[in-house]
Amino acid sequence: MEAQSAVEECLARWRNPYPYLAGLREKGERLIAYFCSYVPEEIIHAAGFTPVRIMGAMRTITHADAHLQAYCCSLARTDLDMALEGELDFLEGAVFVQTCDTMMRLSDIWRRNTSFPFHGDLVLPIRMGEDISLPFIREEVRRFRSRVEEYLGRMIGDEALAESVRIYNRNRRLAERLYALRRERRGVVDGLTSAACLVSGFWMRREDHNRMLQDLLEEWERKEAVDDGRVPLLVSGSTCTTPDLYELLQELGAEVVDDDLCSGHRYFDAYADESLDPEEALARRLWERVNCPAKHQCIEDRATRLLKQVGDSGAKGVVFYLQSFCEPHLFDIPYLRKRLQDEMGVPSLVLESELQSFSRGQLRTRLQAFLEMGSDLGM
Amino acid sequence: MVEEEKRTEEEKADKERRRIKSGAAMRDLMTRYYLEAKAAEGTERHIAWITSGAPVEPLIAFDVIPVYPENHGAMCGAAHMNVELCEAAEARGFSRDLCSYARGDIGSAITKGGPIGGLPRPTFLVACNNICNTVFKWYEELSRFFGVPLFIYDTPFVRGDLPQHIADYSLRQLEEYISFLEDITGKGYDEKKFMEVAARSFLASSLWKEVLVCNEHRPAPMTCFDAFILMAPIVTLRGTQEVVDFYQGLLQEMRQRVEEGIGILPSEKYRLLWDNIPVWYEMRNLGRLFMELEACLVADTYTSAWTFEGVDAERPLASMARIYAEVYLNINLERMADKIEALARRFQVDGMVMHSNRSCKPYSLGQYDLAKEFTRRTGKPVLIIEADHTDSRWYNRAEVENRIRDYVENLLGQDALV
Repeated sequence: MEAQSAVEECLARWRNPYPYLAGLREKGERLIAYFCSYVPEEIIHAAGFTPVRIMGAMRTITHADAHLQAYCCSLARTDLDMALEGELDFLEGAVFVQTCDTMMRLSDIWRRNTSFPFHGDLVLPIRMGEDISLPFIREEVRRFRSRVEEYLGRMIGDEALAESVRIYNRNRRLAERLYALRRERRGVVDGLTSAACLVSGFWMRREDHNRMLQDLLEEWERKEAVDDGRVPLLVSGSTCTTPDLYELLQELGAEVVDDDLCSGHRYFDAYADESLDPEEALARRLWERVNCPAKHQCIEDRATRLLKQVGDSGAKGVVFYLQSFCEPHLFDIPYLRKRLQDEMGVPSLVLESELQSFSRGQLRTRLQAFLEMGSDLGM
Repeated sequence: MVEEEKRTEEEKADKERRRIKSGAAMRDLMTRYYLEAKAAEGTERHIAWITSGAPVEPLIAFDVIPVYPENHGAMCGAAHMNVELCEAAEARGFSRDLCSYARGDIGSAITKGGPIGGLPRPTFLVACNNICNTVFKWYEELSRFFGVPLFIYDTPFVRGDLPQHIADYSLRQLEEYISFLEDITGKGYDEKKFMEVAARSFLASSLWKEVLVCNEHRPAPMTCFDAFILMAPIVTLRGTQEVVDFYQGLLQEMRQRVEEGIGILPSEKYRLLWDNIPVWYEMRNLGRLFMELEACLVADTYTSAWTFEGVDAERPLASMARIYAEVYLNINLERMADKIEALARRFQVDGMVMHSNRSCKPYSLGQYDLAKEFTRRTGKPVLIIEADHTDSRWYNRAEVENRIRDYVENLLGQDALV
C-alpha cells in the first residue's frame, strides 16, 4: 500500500466520515454507532455489526434546537441534528453511555424522536477502579451483551467475543506503537498524520484498520528521526471532530507529540486481559482504564498523569481543546493549568469548540498568539 | 380619605390573615442551625459539606453537622450576592458556563463572602450524583481546596424500574459510608440511634408530603414559592426532632388554612405547576407577578423530591438505597413525564411553567420533550422561561415577565383538568 495515499484517505475520512459510513452500509456492513470511548465495541463487533463513532459535525443546527437548549454542547446538538435530518439513516442504531448529564438525557431524547431499530444504554458508575463498583460494571456489560443479542436474534458465542477482544487489543497495541513512534522518533510521522491514522479507525472495520496501521508502521519504523525544529505540544480535552486544530498547529510550526483526548490516547488505553473470560475482561478493562473527566478522580490523579505525559513526551506547552458547556472538562481546567505552571513551568491555552459556529480564523489567531507568547518564554 | 384609610387597613388585615405564620419558626430553626454550625468551626465537632440529594441521616446519627452549599447558594442568590461570589471563582479560571451554585460556593470558600460570611470549614465532604454529575466535580475541587476527604455516593442513572444491581451497589455504598463515618469520627455505629434518626427522617418526609398535599385545596393555602423557602429544614436537617416538630406545626397551620378557606393569593383564578429549581434572586418579583395575574403556583417537581415513598421503616438502609437512587432527576424522561402528569392531575392545574435553567443540565435538557408530552397527555399549555438559578446575569426580566403575562392571559377559556 502506498503510505501517502493511505494517509490522505485517513485525513479525508477525518474531515468528513459520513460518506464513508454510507459507503460501508452500501457494502453490506451493519452499523451501530457509539459516541463515547467507554463502549465495549468488542460486543458489537462479535455480533457481526460494525461499531462506528459519531463525533459531531460542523453544521448549522436546524432540527435539534427543538429538543436541546443552546447551553448544551455542540457534539450532542449536531449529532442529534444529523439524526433528525435523516443523515444517519445508514445506522441501525446507537449506544449511549452515561458519561455526563447531557449524554444521559440525549439517550432518551434520541430514542423518542428517531426510529432506528436498535437503541442501547450502558450505565457506568463514576467510581471506577474501586472494588465496590466492579460487580456493578460486570452486570452492565452482561446486560449490554444481552441487549445486543436480543436485537441480533441469537447469542454471541464466547469464542467470537474472545476473537473480537484479540482484534481490538491488537488495534490498541498498534496505536501504542504509532504513538511511541511519534513521541520518540521525531520527524518520522507528524501529529496530524498519526492522529488521522488513529481516528480513521472509528469509521473502518477494525480488521482493515489493523492491516492499514501494520503496513504504515512497518514502513515508518524503518526511518530515522530527524530534527524538525518544531515546538512540541500536548493536546488535552475531549474529541477533535475535525483535523483543523492539528493542521493549524502544523502550519504555525508546532507539533502535537502526545495527547490526552478521548478521540486519542484515552481511547486505546489499557488492554482487555485475554487470559480471562472475554466478558469479564471487557468489564475489567473499562474499570481499570484511564478515567475520563466525567468519572470520579482519586484526588490529583488526572493532573499527575497529565504532568507525567508532558514530561515523557517533552511537550513544551499544553493546548486544552474542549466543548463549550462541557462541565466535566471545565471543572478540571483551573487546577490542571495551575499544576502545569507551578510544577513544570509549562504554559497552556484553553480553546472552546462550538461546531455550529466554528471559525478557523479565530482558532488560528488564538494559537498564533499562544505560540508567540510561548517562544518569548522559551517554549 | 377615611374610606381610603379604611381600605388600606382592610388590605393590611387581609394580608396578615393570609401570611404563613410558621415562616417565623422556620427562620428561627435555620438561624439556630447556621449559628451552631458556624460556632462548631475549629472545635472537635465534625462538619460535613453535603449535596442536597445525598443521604444525610447517617451524618445525624454520627452527630456530624451537615452543611449544604446548595442551600447556602440559594440564600446567596436570594440575597443578590451570588454574582460577586461567582466572579471570584471566574477570576480563578472557573468558566461562566459551570453551574452557578458551584461557582458561587467556590467563590465563597475563597473570599468568605455572602450574607453569613461564608460556610464553616468542612472536616470532610459527601457528594451524591443522584441530582447531577456536576456535584462530584465540584466536590473534588472543594476536596483539593480544603485538603479534606471526600466520600462519593454513586447512584447510577435509572431507566425504567430500579434494577437489582443498582440497588445492590447503592446498599453496599451506604454500608461503606457508615464505615467511612466510623473511621473519620472514631465512633462506632449505633444501630439503635440510626434507626431512630431514619424513623424521624421518614416521618418528617411524610409530614412534608402532607403539607404539600394541602395545596390540592382551592384556594391553595400556599404557593410553591413558599414551599421553596419552607423546605429548608427537610433538606438540611431531616432526621432531627426539631424538623419533625416544625413540620407538625406547619401541617397544622396548613390544615387550618384549608378549613378556613384562607388562600395564599387574594384571588386564585389559575393553578399552575412549576418545573425546575427556583430563580432564587427573582422570587419576590415573580411571586408578585403571578399574584397580580391571579395565577397560583400550586405544585412543583422540586420540593416533592424530599417526599419519600414506599419506606420500609424496619429496613431503613435498603429503603434509603432505593429512595436515593430513584429521585426525580435520576430517572428517564418517561418516568419524569408520569410524575409531572400525576402532579398536574392531583393539583388540578391549568398549565405548567418550566424554568430552563442554564445551571442545571439534568433538570433542563429534555424539558422541550417533556413539555410536548405534558400537553399531549393533559391538553394543557406549557411556558418555558430561560434563566439561571443563581446567576442573574443570564436573566432578562422584561422578556420573561412579558412571556408570563402573555401565557397567563391566554389561559382564559381553558377547561379545568379533571
